[in-house]
Amino acid sequence: MRQFFGMSQGGNLEEAAIGLSNPEFIMLISNNRQFEQHVAELEKLFPKVPSIGCIGMGYDTRIVEDGVSIIAYTEGTEVVANVLEQVSAMPVKYIHRMEQDLMKIDASSDNTVCIDFCSSNDACVLTTAYSLLGKRNIQLVGGTGDAGKVSANGKVYEDAAAYAFVKNKGGRVKTYKENIYKPLDGQYLIASETDRSNYLLGALNGKPAKQVYQEILHIDEKDITDQTFINPFGKLNGKEICIISIKAVEGGALTCYRQVNDSDVLVLLQLQDYKMVANDTIQRICYDFNHISAVFSVNCLFRYLLFSKNNDMQEYLETMSKLGSHAGLVGYGEHYNNQFVNQSMTCVVFE
Amino acid sequence: MLISKKRVRARKNGEPGLYPVVYVSKNLREYQKEMVSKEVESLNELRNIRLAFHKVLREDMKLKENLDTFHDVFASVGEISGQFAEVRDDITGTVGNVQQQVNQLKGSAEQVQECFEEIQNTFANFQEAIENIKKCMKQIITVADQTNILALNASIEAARAGEKGKGFAVVAGDVKRLANEIKDLAGVVEEGIGGVEHEAEKMSESITASNEAMAEGVDSVNTTYDMFDEIISAADGAETVQDKITATITESREKLNEVKQSFADTEAQYKKVMAHIEKARELGTMKGSMFEDVDNMLSQIAPIIEEYENA
Repeated sequence: MRQFFGMSQGGNLEEAAIGLSNPEFIMLISNNRQFEQHVAELEKLFPKVPSIGCIGMGYDTRIVEDGVSIIAYTEGTEVVANVLEQVSAMPVKYIHRMEQDLMKIDASSDNTVCIDFCSSNDACVLTTAYSLLGKRNIQLVGGTGDAGKVSANGKVYEDAAAYAFVKNKGGRVKTYKENIYKPLDGQYLIASETDRSNYLLGALNGKPAKQVYQEILHIDEKDITDQTFINPFGKLNGKEICIISIKAVEGGALTCYRQVNDSDVLVLLQLQDYKMVANDTIQRICYDFNHISAVFSVNCLFRYLLFSKNNDMQEYLETMSKLGSHAGLVGYGEHYNNQFVNQSMTCVVFE
Repeated sequence: MLISKKRVRARKNGEPGLYPVVYVSKNLREYQKEMVSKEVESLNELRNIRLAFHKVLREDMKLKENLDTFHDVFASVGEISGQFAEVRDDITGTVGNVQQQVNQLKGSAEQVQECFEEIQNTFANFQEAIENIKKCMKQIITVADQTNILALNASIEAARAGEKGKGFAVVAGDVKRLANEIKDLAGVVEEGIGGVEHEAEKMSESITASNEAMAEGVDSVNTTYDMFDEIISAADGAETVQDKITATITESREKLNEVKQSFADTEAQYKKVMAHIEKARELGTMKGSMFEDVDNMLSQIAPIIEEYENA
């Protein structure tokens, strides 16, 4: 298979599509102003080609902040794209679609990946999707788009999760998650007084969450939201850690970019040397694959802001390009199998 | 699960329709919430156990460190005890040297004593010689007296002989004068001998006193020598004490090692317990995600049914 990346910083879709022929699957990453237009243009340019799209920032070795990017697969993939609708309330209503699509593509765990772009209620969508995918060990990588809109097969949907099963006919697929943080200490924080619909975290170990965060890090209240770049929360799930970013302070509670549930066990995380972590990820991937056809990744907006603040974003993209054809998007939340995480990078590698 | 149109129609006819499903799902969510609430309590308890056990482990570590300190103390005692043996060896060596010196002193003193005895013997001979000289002097005086008497008789006879005896009277007078001079000289000699005898007696007394002092010194040397023997004997006794200390330390170390082994066994058990606690904690964290999944799924039932009911 081959991966195509085209872009237009000025938002010209035709320009972004120059050089793309006979695509088997297209991912559109557009801007808020032109999303509907780009979806329609793309469908016109490549009718009937399976596609999914969202609003965000695309990248290969450069970032496209406010234009349009196209990531497409050619020569050796079989893809089916579709959408789960009404995700804020009942994504399971459309699970049968997904079930049929999975059967249609005759997916197997080692050669097929599910890529998804979600508009909202990510955790519920992932629970729903993985109730099906988990049984077949199908891996999932995806992210949250902006403005509550996604597209699938030339149509724009609100309150939906667009997905595509991408089958690599030439080899394996494998998903990865990169965490540039590690637990600060052995202090486990048990969440309670949460409000999952508002992503509110009320208490940790029975004390107000804000107070606990401040006491551990010795910081003022005004610094809490900035501190999340350095010290986000990590939700423990067995040996896995799902990063949770802090969005705002609300009284004695903290609102986050992901839902926190009563009885979730959290730890505070500490930022590591992210360049070293990125190199470790590359080494891990190279260890697993002798030949890489393509890498598609989703990077969190927080990581983009952090790297950009340190003038490291360009270097990071160039580092990732050592793997070969690397492209992806900056999302508002990342999906890795059944996990909805923040401040992470998830990716799928095609052999 | 697809809801049939027949069931939806049933709701329109006044039957409960899908309400029981909504009711069940609502209750399941409440049970789930209750389970989560209990899970929070359970996790808190587990956290408390973990914290308490960490404390136990810290205390155990401290105790172990104290045991190690004991080990060090025993090692120090053993070392000091060893140093004590060195000191004992030094004492024995020094005492041996001193004893050697004392022996030499004793030998020198005995030689001096022998010399004193020789001096005393020589002195006795000297006193005897003086006595002989004194006797000789007495005989000389006696001879001088007799000579004087003879000279006097000769003078008388010379006087009787008259003119013819005048020459003899002169000789008799010379003899008498000579005898008197001899007598005077003998007196001077006797007086000198008396002085010599007096000084000799004083010397004899000094020699005797020195000899007695030397004898006392030799006695003291002998006593000191014996005391050194006692010191060595006492030092040897200390060696026994040191051996006992070493034996006690060895025994204590063995006991300490047994205690340490017990602690190592306990620690291994603690680690197992800790591993179980960690595993329980890890499983607890997975339950959180499972509760989330359950809630995510259950939360969809009511809106789906509501939608079907309204359709």
